Amino acid sequence: MGTLSLVTRAARRPPGPDPQTSPAVRAKRRRTRIRILLFLSPWIVGFTVFLAYPLVMTVWLSFTNSDMISSPHFVGLRNYRYMFSDDPQIWQAVRNTGWLMAVMVPAQVLFALGVAMVTARLKAGAGLFRTLFYLPALAPPVAATVAFVCLFNPSSGPVNKILGLIGVHGPLWFDSPVWSKPALTLLTLWGSGTMMVIFLAALLDVPAELYEAAELDGTNPLQRFRYVTLPTISPVVLFATVTAVIAALQYFTQAMVASQTADGSIQAPPGYPGGSTLTFSQQLYTAGFTQFHMGYACALAVVLFAVAMVFTVALLRRASGFNTEEATQ
Amino acid sequence: MTALAPTARDRSARGVSAHNVARRRSGRRRTLIWIAEHALACGLAVAFVGPIVFILLTSVMTDQQSLTSNLWPAHWQWSNYTAVFSKAPTGTWIKNTVVYAGLVTMCTLVSSVPVAYALARFRFRARNGVFLAVIMMMMLPPQVLVIPMYIMWARLHLTGTIWPLVIPCAFGDAFSIFLLRQFLLTIPEDYLNAARIDGCSEVRVLLRVVLPMMRPAIVAVGLFAFFNAWNDYYGPLIYTGEKPDHWTLAVGLASFKSAHAVQWNLTMAATVIAMAPVIIVFFFAQKAFIEGVTLTGVKG
Amino acid sequence: MFIHRHSFTVRHSPVVPARAHGRRLAAFVLAPILALAAAGCSAGGSNSPAKADVGADDTTPVTITFWHGLSSAHEVAAVNAVLAKFHQKYPYITVQAVSGQTDDKVNQAIRGGTAPDVASSFNAANVGGWCASGAFQDLSADIAADHVDMSQIPQAVQSYTAFDGKRCTMPWLADTFGLYYNKKLFAAAGITAPPKTMTELAQDAKKLTVFNPDGSIKTAGFMPYLGTYQMVTEHLVTSWGGKWLKPDGTSNVASDPAFAAALTWQKNLVDWFGAGKLAKFKAGMGDEMSAQNAFETGNVAMMVDGEWRTAFIKNDKSDVDYGTAPMPVADDKPELYGSGYVGGNVIGIPKGSKHPAAAWKLVKFLTTDTDAVASFADAIGNVPTTIAALDSPALTLAQDPDFATFLEVFKNPATSTTPASPDGGAYLTDFGPFAEKWQNGQVPDLKAGLAGVDKQNDAALKLSQ
Repeated sequence: MGTLSLVTRAARRPPGPDPQTSPAVRAKRRRTRIRILLFLSPWIVGFTVFLAYPLVMTVWLSFTNSDMISSPHFVGLRNYRYMFSDDPQIWQAVRNTGWLMAVMVPAQVLFALGVAMVTARLKAGAGLFRTLFYLPALAPPVAATVAFVCLFNPSSGPVNKILGLIGVHGPLWFDSPVWSKPALTLLTLWGSGTMMVIFLAALLDVPAELYEAAELDGTNPLQRFRYVTLPTISPVVLFATVTAVIAALQYFTQAMVASQTADGSIQAPPGYPGGSTLTFSQQLYTAGFTQFHMGYACALAVVLFAVAMVFTVALLRRASGFNTEEATQ
Repeated sequence: MTALAPTARDRSARGVSAHNVARRRSGRRRTLIWIAEHALACGLAVAFVGPIVFILLTSVMTDQQSLTSNLWPAHWQWSNYTAVFSKAPTGTWIKNTVVYAGLVTMCTLVSSVPVAYALARFRFRARNGVFLAVIMMMMLPPQVLVIPMYIMWARLHLTGTIWPLVIPCAFGDAFSIFLLRQFLLTIPEDYLNAARIDGCSEVRVLLRVVLPMMRPAIVAVGLFAFFNAWNDYYGPLIYTGEKPDHWTLAVGLASFKSAHAVQWNLTMAATVIAMAPVIIVFFFAQKAFIEGVTLTGVKG
Repeated sequence: MFIHRHSFTVRHSPVVPARAHGRRLAAFVLAPILALAAAGCSAGGSNSPAKADVGADDTTPVTITFWHGLSSAHEVAAVNAVLAKFHQKYPYITVQAVSGQTDDKVNQAIRGGTAPDVASSFNAANVGGWCASGAFQDLSADIAADHVDMSQIPQAVQSYTAFDGKRCTMPWLADTFGLYYNKKLFAAAGITAPPKTMTELAQDAKKLTVFNPDGSIKTAGFMPYLGTYQMVTEHLVTSWGGKWLKPDGTSNVASDPAFAAALTWQKNLVDWFGAGKLAKFKAGMGDEMSAQNAFETGNVAMMVDGEWRTAFIKNDKSDVDYGTAPMPVADDKPELYGSGYVGGNVIGIPKGSKHPAAAWKLVKFLTTDTDAVASFADAIGNVPTTIAALDSPALTLAQDPDFATFLEVFKNPATSTTPASPDGGAYLTDFGPFAEKWQNGQVPDLKAGLAGVDKQNDAALKLSQ
């Protein structure tokens, strides 16, 4: 079952035995409460200091002109106005991030699902193939990105050389505003082993009897996928998709490293080439940590937070949806 | 059991014969499908492994050759791997990364296990709320909080070091809590009750009964924590960016080519050095890895 | 778009981040409490202590840190040599130099309260931001107290190291830009003299270019693709006499026809090659600061570069047979010939410096001691920034005709730099992405595009107020 059904499944567990009110029991309950607090204490501190406090501060700072040099003062909605009407790069950053969410994520999910289905059907060497497919997912993102920029180098890289051998004129990849995001997508596909392993486990969890029954009913493979496989694995796919969407929302490392490496300069214009790899997170980083418009960066962070929450809440709501289904079964 | 060599008896009985022809046909189809599936898998394997092969080949080329499109090194220049350490402080980066990842792993495990245990095994009113908050924290992009956190650490004079990345781990890491809790739910309550009946306190139940049973999960979570830190770029970039002495391998590698006046060959050698530990550890702890990954997605 | 002339490396000294365990631990315990108390004000505390003892010298031994951006082996050695001289003069001050630091890192360290005692930058455009915000300390009091003769610094240099009446930096050598050309390739193409106008440059570039059979570029006569090595808008537009800012500090790129003219010239040449081919060629060029530099290997016949390349060519033992000349100028601006772009290197004392008095001693020594300036400029092949050092016999480079070109450009009255702005030259960084879109044909209307850049620059300027 889907991971998140656990959230609510746990919640539906009946509460402890009926309360009795003898002093001994009350003392025991107090001890229990203290014990729970003790076990939770690291998290309570972490939640307060490293989540709640900075979250409140982000919102507050987004209304100031903080630059970490002079003391900040309140500037009202100026940062938000700048974001929506004046920032020359923000809409491109939003479009690029949107592209990643709308194209890269589905490509990744479909690819991982496809590879997982092939692997699930293998009769010889399934374990070896699974290992080989998963391996690139372990490559550190920075290393993988640097490597891909080298491999896809239009002048000296093996990819275009091999494409040339089969008569295809390779594009400029990381040096082309049109091809840079597809190149990043290929990098993502290469590293989608984690998702593949998750899907593979879900596929192998589909009860074999269901397939046998469906086969006896004379269904074709496509129908079996549609009516047997998909319903069983869909919670897992949904969870993976939402996680991938949120990852795309904060896509930073690969975009930044790819532009730096492809341009060959540490001061490459953000989003090289032609702003095509500039993401929302990168814009936030530039505003905050190279221009030190901390207030403005916080305004961007507030927007990012709102969008991320929409997806998270959507995920959690769907998760409880699965739960009711489960309950009726 | 496909009828590759039909007998005379098969042919004599008409009904059986017809059945057998069909079986033979489907057998042949099955063989074809088997070949097609494995061919596809082999193709995919080439696509997945190919880049690593080219990285290795490029890493031993000469400067001049790495600027050409030749695929095979004309001269295997293994000295590139020592040049990586002399042209850039790669040794320092590795040391910093190991210290950083080690501390993060330790802090994460020590702080996350009790929280996960409480979430999985204790019953209290706020449990669902706490778990939802953990999920939220897991999903929250780090960029949302980075500015106030940076200001906070700057006031404590801890920017320019890895401590702003290590200290929060000592207060529970959402992803690890989530993962450990998922695993803990799979341990039958009976084991724990047996221990409780024997008079063990909850702490001793955790230490004596649960922890040994959790070994695979702890290994998985520890590995994830270690390699997340090893791979992390955003955090070290922000907190150690201005202090090259404190850089991690990820930060050093990101600007390796542009900053050290080197060509692709040395860059790829550095890339190999960054990838190697992860891949080596994976081969030793493959089971823990795969189980851990599976745990994030399906099992409960 | 700032293509820094020096890429950066890291000091090769191992420092374990864990070395200050005890103190960190205390901080870690206090973290939540302090953080909650400190409601998001600026970091680094209040203003740095004023530089005290300008009169009487306190000779208690002190160690100061100094960040600079130089990184090549011969450059780092030269820095160490000049610092040794300083230590000889002030034995109680030890300087710990960190090479290869960028402006971003300096800015970040000032915010994080980990700033060095002395920092330098290759970009005078930073001065505006540093002086206006107080990120760098005002040096006027020290200059007055020590009776530093500012008239020994050329007027133009004085102006780009101060902003709005605040002198928060001093000039520490300068970079001037000109044209490098490959004499062997010139002879092969039948070209006898370096081009003087941009039309000639374009013609020569076409003559010198050799294509491979598959249509890709083998040798580029000139790389017009912006973002390649030192080929950036600020180095190009000087040939048209472009002025980035209006006198009131607002953006000027649409009002000044120089920008449209320069970008049009550039795009015409890009289109002659084909933007895609140039991008591919650029991807195959060796690293700028290495011996694989495409000019040093003969793959590029002409390029814009700074005077330091003469020293690099020597140190790389490149066999390229080259000459230098001032940058060609716009056909209708012949009076500009002989001038060029000058990039000032600046040095100052960041806010948060722990030993400002000793730091000032170092700044003063590096920027005004004739022997220190001349010998250092000589060693790294840069242009000295005091009149005495320019005329000093210690500057042996002046005898090298290839280097002398740059000294002449430096002295030319029409030579200009990019002006300081209170946001640290953000107008330049923001121009990079625009120029990139332009050369890839993503800007249909140049005039409107430049007007848009003006509008954005002016809006961005307000954000930092």
